[in-house]
Amino acid sequence: MFRLFSKVWANFKEYIVLVITVLLSLIILSQNQNPKVQKVKAIAFGSFASITSIISDIFSTSDLKRENRELRETNAKLMLHLSKLREFGIKNDELRDLVHFKDTTSFPLIPASIISKSLSFTQNSITLNAGKKDSVLPGMPVINDEGLIGIIQSTSEDYSIAKTLHNVDLKLTVMDERSRINGILKWTGEELIMQNIPSTYDVEVGDRIITSDVSSIIPVPVPVGVVEEFKPSGLGMFSYIKVKPFVNLTNIDNLFILAVVKSKQVKDLELNFYRHQ
Amino acid sequence: MKFEYITPLIVFFFVYLLQITIVPLIRLAGIIPDLILIILVYYSISRGQLYGTVLGAVYGLLIDLISGNLLGLSMLSKTIAGFTAGYFTGETKKIVNVTTYNFSLIVLLCSIVDTIIFSFFSTFDLQTNIFSILFEQALLPSLYTAVVSILFLFYPLRRRKF
Repeated sequence: MFRLFSKVWANFKEYIVLVITVLLSLIILSQNQNPKVQKVKAIAFGSFASITSIISDIFSTSDLKRENRELRETNAKLMLHLSKLREFGIKNDELRDLVHFKDTTSFPLIPASIISKSLSFTQNSITLNAGKKDSVLPGMPVINDEGLIGIIQSTSEDYSIAKTLHNVDLKLTVMDERSRINGILKWTGEELIMQNIPSTYDVEVGDRIITSDVSSIIPVPVPVGVVEEFKPSGLGMFSYIKVKPFVNLTNIDNLFILAVVKSKQVKDLELNFYRHQ
Repeated sequence: MKFEYITPLIVFFFVYLLQITIVPLIRLAGIIPDLILIILVYYSISRGQLYGTVLGAVYGLLIDLISGNLLGLSMLSKTIAGFTAGYFTGETKKIVNVTTYNFSLIVLLCSIVDTIIFSFFSTFDLQTNIFSILFEQALLPSLYTAVVSILFLFYPLRRRKF
């Protein structure tokens, strides 16, 4: 028996090892949602991210001048927006007073920088230099001044990993800002599309897409992109809607994590509701 | 003997650091070369198919752990890429395959195998255009990786161990 096994091993050891490692990979693939596996991943990327951050700091300082100029420009644009929003805010407060509605919700922002990017076509993710110590939790939205970047996937003490819009595993409920139609935003591996919109619904090229208020992940409307292409389906029920994201994912360096998760938001809203009963 | 197993791991961490910090600076239309695959192919040719298969699995597992990807996905694709590269080993063949332009062709082949498996398992969807994915996610990055692997040929022969 042993001799037979030795003979088989000697002749086919490469294939035996291949089968074993492939099976092992498939078993590990099926265990991705296991909390223990998630914990091991968090420890592993957290340890490596501390080394990566040193190198990324060296490179990021060379970009400071360009970034400063861009920030000044954004600042000027934001100042103009702000003055407009102030006017709306005053009107909004007046209207809230009329209906005795008090807003108790606030959205603290956690600043973070990208220390590494995985430029994969399908599994695009970014490692950020903010983690559990900064109150970052899985599920929090990652944004910048242009719009949504992604969602925090896992966190370690000092670092976190976020799935970007270019990740096939990230599916978001979004809506057309003009017509208020909800759909599912999904990255196919080559383009960002909005799914489950019937052909008869009102969507036009140029419409702004924002996160939906019925989203189970992002509780506040965050700009996502603009409808680039719209084709009513000839035979099927649903139309083809291609979305161009506002954020250029290849050029981002600094961003913010919106420190809210849906459950807390729902809780706040419910409390707000009962306060007015 | 011990260095035979430790050196590829040290090389991995050094090359992976380059891969995620410096290599994105030379991206072309969002495409970057895969340096880890180049060293995997090198080790697989110079140390044999069995070694390449196991090293592919180890490299893939480390990439999955560090990058936050689906755990097991790179492990699967790199295992098969390492196994494929192992077909080009052999006492007489390996020196030719590692020191001539054959090396880039082998890298191209293994990269296509690696990226096809990776893309297939990560984007499997009946609505997805398979040919477009093969072209954009497999062929173009593989070509870029193969071109970058030519630089490896300029690494002095005397420093390499077979």
